[in-house]
Amino acid sequence: MTLNSVRYILRETLNSMKRNPWLSIASVLTVTVSLVILGFSVFFLANASNMAKSFESELEIAAFVQSDTTPEAVNALQTQLKAMPGVASVTIVTKDQALTDFGKTMGDSQSSLVADLGGTNPFTDKLTVKATDPQNVKAIAATMSTLPGIDKVRYGQGFVDQLLSFTQWLRWIGLGVVGAFSIAAIVLISINVKMNVFSRRREIQIMKLVGASNSFVRWPFLIEGMVLGLVGGALAAGIVGMGYNWITMYVQSTLTFLPVVQNQLLFQQVSVGLLLAGMAMGAIGSGFSLQKFLKS
Amino acid sequence: MIQLTNVSKIYQNGARALVDVNLKIGKGDFVFLVGPSGAGKSTLIKLFYRDETPSRGQVIINSKNLVRMKEREVPYLRRSIGVIFQDFKLMTNKTVYENVAFALEVIGVSRKEIEIRTRTALELVGLAVKANAYSHELSGGEQQRVCVARAIINNPALLLADEPTGNLDPETAWGIMDLLHNINKRGTTIVMATHARAIVNKMQKRVIAIENGRVARDDEKGGYGYDT
Repeated sequence: MTLNSVRYILRETLNSMKRNPWLSIASVLTVTVSLVILGFSVFFLANASNMAKSFESELEIAAFVQSDTTPEAVNALQTQLKAMPGVASVTIVTKDQALTDFGKTMGDSQSSLVADLGGTNPFTDKLTVKATDPQNVKAIAATMSTLPGIDKVRYGQGFVDQLLSFTQWLRWIGLGVVGAFSIAAIVLISINVKMNVFSRRREIQIMKLVGASNSFVRWPFLIEGMVLGLVGGALAAGIVGMGYNWITMYVQSTLTFLPVVQNQLLFQQVSVGLLLAGMAMGAIGSGFSLQKFLKS
Repeated sequence: MIQLTNVSKIYQNGARALVDVNLKIGKGDFVFLVGPSGAGKSTLIKLFYRDETPSRGQVIINSKNLVRMKEREVPYLRRSIGVIFQDFKLMTNKTVYENVAFALEVIGVSRKEIEIRTRTALELVGLAVKANAYSHELSGGEQQRVCVARAIINNPALLLADEPTGNLDPETAWGIMDLLHNINKRGTTIVMATHARAIVNKMQKRVIAIENGRVARDDEKGGYGYDT
């Protein structure tokens, strides 16, 4: 391919877009709509994943130590638990601390509280265990309950199982939405390009009759598809960026307990991703629809 | 230049366009293809620039075997062949100049050279003054001359014409024929399918008659030979 050909191809791309402004606009809008949905799906996925992770990270196992255990024995238990595979951290909540915490929730001074409770502290020492992977919580809890010196183990049994399967589903649904809309977008743009190619099939036929190679015929369409896809991607990135900003602001002011992803890096990645996806969709769509016309 | 050996062409709908055709056309020849409509003239010409491939037999053009030719070699074959179409096949959204220059642009010729060669070709067909007109603003004869200019701009070794005078009045038709005659004198092989009896009779060139897909007659210096 010579420089002259490159110049010709670029000129032809521009001409083609000027010639069919409405078709070009339709293609751009198709890409934009698809990519806006795609972009929001990505943020949905990120948030679902983040939400799942933050729920999961709050999972911990509480092991209540038998009331007659000495502080040294509690420390030994902590060391022993820490050595277990899959355990991330072990913290000790002494019975005094538990009482203080309880007192705080009552909003009263602790001295009178102990007196109110008959001079004895009803709490026992507690070990709080965090697992490296929430999936391991169940197994760790089972092992812990067999250790000597430990009275009871609590980890919200049924709730953990349900939460884990729910977050797993959330991830799959997010992925499914992203996948489905990628395919829909490619189909839509290939229909648009097909219409464009169809309206120019005479020109393509003449090009081939005077000796144009397939790649020479293909390039203007490919570049046109890529440019239209890029414009659509840019529009989508803008809409998704502003829309998501608006939604997060709204959510944060009303549903404050929901963890919302506000990640500058993710923003940039999604924007660049949408641009590239638009370009790729344009190129793939053009490629598909040209294949048939170039065969004859 | 052209050699056909036992060529048959049966279309997918079962129509037998050509049956066992053997043909040899030498370099620099001027050949008329005559015969009734639907006899297979157009199919024969399409075989020459590989718009169609034969169902059986061999087609050799310029010592290249078109049957065994790979798809990606076809563009290079077509660059050595000029084709004048009955329906002109001009691009309506391009000017006369652009239509002619197109044949050079697709093969990556520099802009300067395109300019020179396009102007020369347009002068040769007498359309230099209409370079910036769009094809729908031209008469049939002018459009046909644009098509001729595009066909000859690559200095093709072989020029194929499928009824180039079919849509033209006699005077304009003779203008085109003079043009083809001059191009032939410069050494270009010309194969022209036609129904123009007067032209064939006057030019006294080799005449090949095709009937029902077979070569019915092949005269070195023949006439049209049909009554109508």
